[in-house]
Amino acid sequence: MAEGVHLGDLFFAGIDIGSTMTKAVIINAEGNIAAAIKGPTGAEHRHLANDVMLKALDGAGLKLEDVACIIATGYGRFNVPFADEHITELSCHAKGVCHLFPGARTVVDIGGQDAKCLKVREGRLIDFAMNDKCAAGTGRFLELTAQSLGIKVEDLAALSEKATSPVEISNMCTIFAQQEVVMHLSQGKRIEDIIAGLHRALAERVAALARRLGVEPEVVLTGGVAKNAGMVLAMGQSLDCELLVPEEPLLTGALGAALLARERTIRLLAEGKPLERKPRRLEKATFYS
Amino acid sequence: MAAKGLSRAKEVCSQRPAVAKGATARGKKVIGYPCVYVPLELLAALDIVPYRLYGEMREPVTEADRVLPASFCPIMRSCLDCALKGRHDFLDGVITIHSSDPQEKTARIWQSYTTLPYFHFVDMPGTTRPEAVDYFASQLKGLVTTLESLSGKKLSADNITKAINAYNHQRSLVQSLFELTRPSPPLLTGTEIVQVIKAVMSLPVDEGNQLLTEVIEEAKARKQKSEAQRARLLLWGSTTDDAEVMAVLESNANVVFLEDCGGYRPYRGKVSTAGDALTALARHYLTEITCARTFIQNVAAPTKKDYHKDLHARYGYLKSVITDWKVDGVVLLLVRYCDPFAFEVPAVKDYFASLGVPATYIEYDYTEGSLAPMRTRVEAFLETIG
Repeated sequence: MAEGVHLGDLFFAGIDIGSTMTKAVIINAEGNIAAAIKGPTGAEHRHLANDVMLKALDGAGLKLEDVACIIATGYGRFNVPFADEHITELSCHAKGVCHLFPGARTVVDIGGQDAKCLKVREGRLIDFAMNDKCAAGTGRFLELTAQSLGIKVEDLAALSEKATSPVEISNMCTIFAQQEVVMHLSQGKRIEDIIAGLHRALAERVAALARRLGVEPEVVLTGGVAKNAGMVLAMGQSLDCELLVPEEPLLTGALGAALLARERTIRLLAEGKPLERKPRRLEKATFYS
Repeated sequence: MAAKGLSRAKEVCSQRPAVAKGATARGKKVIGYPCVYVPLELLAALDIVPYRLYGEMREPVTEADRVLPASFCPIMRSCLDCALKGRHDFLDGVITIHSSDPQEKTARIWQSYTTLPYFHFVDMPGTTRPEAVDYFASQLKGLVTTLESLSGKKLSADNITKAINAYNHQRSLVQSLFELTRPSPPLLTGTEIVQVIKAVMSLPVDEGNQLLTEVIEEAKARKQKSEAQRARLLLWGSTTDDAEVMAVLESNANVVFLEDCGGYRPYRGKVSTAGDALTALARHYLTEITCARTFIQNVAAPTKKDYHKDLHARYGYLKSVITDWKVDGVVLLLVRYCDPFAFEVPAVKDYFASLGVPATYIEYDYTEGSLAPMRTRVEAFLETIG
């Protein structure tokens, strides 16, 4: 081990800039979470990974120097100038999920703008499938259709529980599905049944993606959509299996990134290599146009 | 024309129309073709310069949308869009071929909506059976007839043999080019190769051969870099025509073999110089170009099937590529709506799995916007095999 460096004193951070939400997790040497925060990515905020990091540091009562390694992930991972390494969200999710559920074999992650299915084993990504460049099969699908119903995304789950006969939503194009929603409304269908129908449609779309890889238990559902109990139910029905959902389903990517940062540091220390603490400053991304 | 080798290739790629116009100015006829199933020997024999047509990934499709349905090969869509925008007006004509339905279906639109003096659509059979070779030869004869009247020259035993020899030389040069990606690390990157092939497909055969010779010399003189070992990838797909797509694949890896129509596929094998030239060309193009659109089956008779040969011709030949080029992983890269290749993906992917080689399938929609998601998929794949 390099002189003067004690693993026990070190902290590690993962920052996950998704299309919709930015997440940061700081862990200690034991892998326990010292701080975890999330906030909307937004148009302006995607420049401001530094703000998110600062809030996480504040939350943990740490200074930037206390963090030995920072790994950035998510589709905005290149907009984190102070990161030591970029790793795709697929590998980070795999890591994070396996940490929480060591028996996990399949991960279904439904985010704001993409859906992905991962095959994982012992913390490693084995294979994956991702959705097309299309809002169908993502959280955006629910957001937009909820909007056309005039209700909040947070209320979808509770409403869908009251469904008695979910409607068929045949069109998976987000825009056309909205038109179908309007059609069902005009036919006098209950909102609860329409929402349950939307959940089923989205779950079917994502399940098709998962089936391409092959679904093996245990199956873990993550991403913002996993906070919607109605979706968890629908997804479980579509995949015909029980789903495990982390307490904080948005944070698995950032957690995985922090865990990988920890592993990287342990590796460097074991090899007797100096920790490359490049002079980091929490500055906003300038190269992002 | 001071630039040589790789810098010349880059220069040609950046100004392809100007290069072709240069040939026109020297009194040569220049004919565009979007698909490598068109036997270029027939053009060269009649002193016509073949010019490969590509799409323009960075050019939003506007004109072609007026005349084409929405779910349609984005490359042909973009080619036709460029044609409708007058980008190919310097050409003396265009040859398309029935290698895929989009080419057949756009043939009429191309003819109706552009004012090219020459247009020929070549029909081609979907199998490699003996009668299919005969039929393809008969279609090539029809192509020769129209090319003869365009050029005012006659195809002779002499000029077709010369042309076949020149293109056979080109094939062996490209094969030598790919020898340079066998060392680890490779002496040429996939990004460089895409540019070299694109330049070669924009030049008369002799100039292309000259360029290839220069590139091979240049790369051989390179000092073997002792950089950190990068993953060695095989790219399998329809066609790659954009250096930036390759750069995405190569940001953390080396593409050491390009099994596609912007890489090795059009240059496999050699055309036989024995017997009837048209039959030799028909047989070569039908059987040696391993496009998924062709149903390759060696013996059709029920009692004489040679499954081993069939497997080899379909994708079994990739087994030795994997070994010889020490491939660590395969990227199956397709442009959306490329149905013939998409149907082949499950079997090919499974074949690689049976060889113990990791493979991933990536589809993109031939827009600049598809590069970022492509990067994530490629990186994630590399993380799985790293």
